[in-house]
Amino acid sequence: MAISRSTYGTRRLAIVLFALLLAALFLLPSQSQGLLQYVGGPLGQILSLPLAAFSSLDHGISETWDGYLALQGVREENRQLRRDIEWLKGQNNQLRDSVTATQRYETLLNFKQQSSSRTVAAQVIGRDATNWYRGVILNKGESDGVRPEMGVVTPAGVVGRIVKTNSTSSVVLLVTDPNNAIAGLVQRTRDEGIVEGTSHGRARLKYIPLLSRVQPGDRVVTSGLTGAFPRGLAIGGLTQVEKSEGDLFQSAEIQPEVDLSKLDEVLVITAPYEDADAAQKLLQEIHGDRKKP
Amino acid sequence: MKFLLYTLLALVVVPLQTTLLHYVSILGVRPDLGLVAACLVGFLGGELDGLILGLILGCFQDMLSAGDLWINVVTKGGAGFLAGLAGRHMAHITPAVLTVGLVIISCLSSGVFLYAMNPASIDEIWMGVRSTVLVQAGFDAAIGAGLYLVFRRRWSDDRMVTEGAL
Repeated sequence: MAISRSTYGTRRLAIVLFALLLAALFLLPSQSQGLLQYVGGPLGQILSLPLAAFSSLDHGISETWDGYLALQGVREENRQLRRDIEWLKGQNNQLRDSVTATQRYETLLNFKQQSSSRTVAAQVIGRDATNWYRGVILNKGESDGVRPEMGVVTPAGVVGRIVKTNSTSSVVLLVTDPNNAIAGLVQRTRDEGIVEGTSHGRARLKYIPLLSRVQPGDRVVTSGLTGAFPRGLAIGGLTQVEKSEGDLFQSAEIQPEVDLSKLDEVLVITAPYEDADAAQKLLQEIHGDRKKP
Repeated sequence: MKFLLYTLLALVVVPLQTTLLHYVSILGVRPDLGLVAACLVGFLGGELDGLILGLILGCFQDMLSAGDLWINVVTKGGAGFLAGLAGRHMAHITPAVLTVGLVIISCLSSGVFLYAMNPASIDEIWMGVRSTVLVQAGFDAAIGAGLYLVFRRRWSDDRMVTEGAL
């Protein structure tokens, strides 16, 4: 009975205190706020310890989740991204190649359109089967109208001449092969000679008249005297002129205009002059040149 | 059957020689895979096999070379035949013997090419020997010996089976 009375008294006391607190809050709001803040300071400090602990635990769990449990997805995503990068790199390389090839084709096409010759475009598919001849293999043969002795050029200049053909491919003897001979002309002095390959992988202009004033740097072009090439196609530049005592002629070393180690596409000259008019015009031009003093 | 097999081998070797081999050239000189193949088959299979493969290889190589049409047929056929003759007189073929044999046959073959090039002076011949003949001979021998080492076990077994059968 005593216990019951005591409990009753405590309850009454609590109700009274709560009522007083509510009254204080409503009747004296600013003072009660200050009191609460005063009391809340140490309470907040006490609370901050477990709060920090839980917070770090939460972070830990979160990091574990993101770093390990959710890593499967990231790893897969990473793998996919790497694959994408590789694919894009491949695409980029292919596009770069395509751009380069397009530029080359464009140059070749422009040259073909400007040229007075009838030509067939061909691709270099291989090198000579032996070490003894400087030659390349083209993917065009007799079925495309390619025949032995036809000239082969690029927009940069003369490459060589066809020496062998079959129905689908042909072999070109390069201008640097010692077995090759092309009629050439020094552009500045108009001296004619024969361009032959050397064993050093260059070419040499032979039979230049002794009195000719050719000099290193002069450009050599085709003279058009042989059937394979029209007149005026670049062969190369003179690098060294040799004149020995007692010789009847001079000779000069030529650096070929075309980089023969990097041939990709070439043009085979199937007819040096497109039509008779062009040939007639050229003949008139030649005669005109000869009449000049 | 053998003829067909050798033709197929030639159809692999010759395009390989003309298209991809420049990637492994030393001083601008490539090994002559046709010569190596003809010699190996000659050494291990006999002179007739070497001759047949050499002729087929030479024929294909001549089609894809700027030289005269006979030169590869003669040199490769001859190389296969010579290798066959040499192999017949050897009790054991070792990589060292094969290397020496290949050097000699490669030099002989290159000599024919050099002759066909019609060099104008001794200097040109010497230059050809230094820049091409010796380099190619070394290259051919190395590749031949390498191939032999790789496939030695199989070829030795075949040889013993063939000799046993005879």
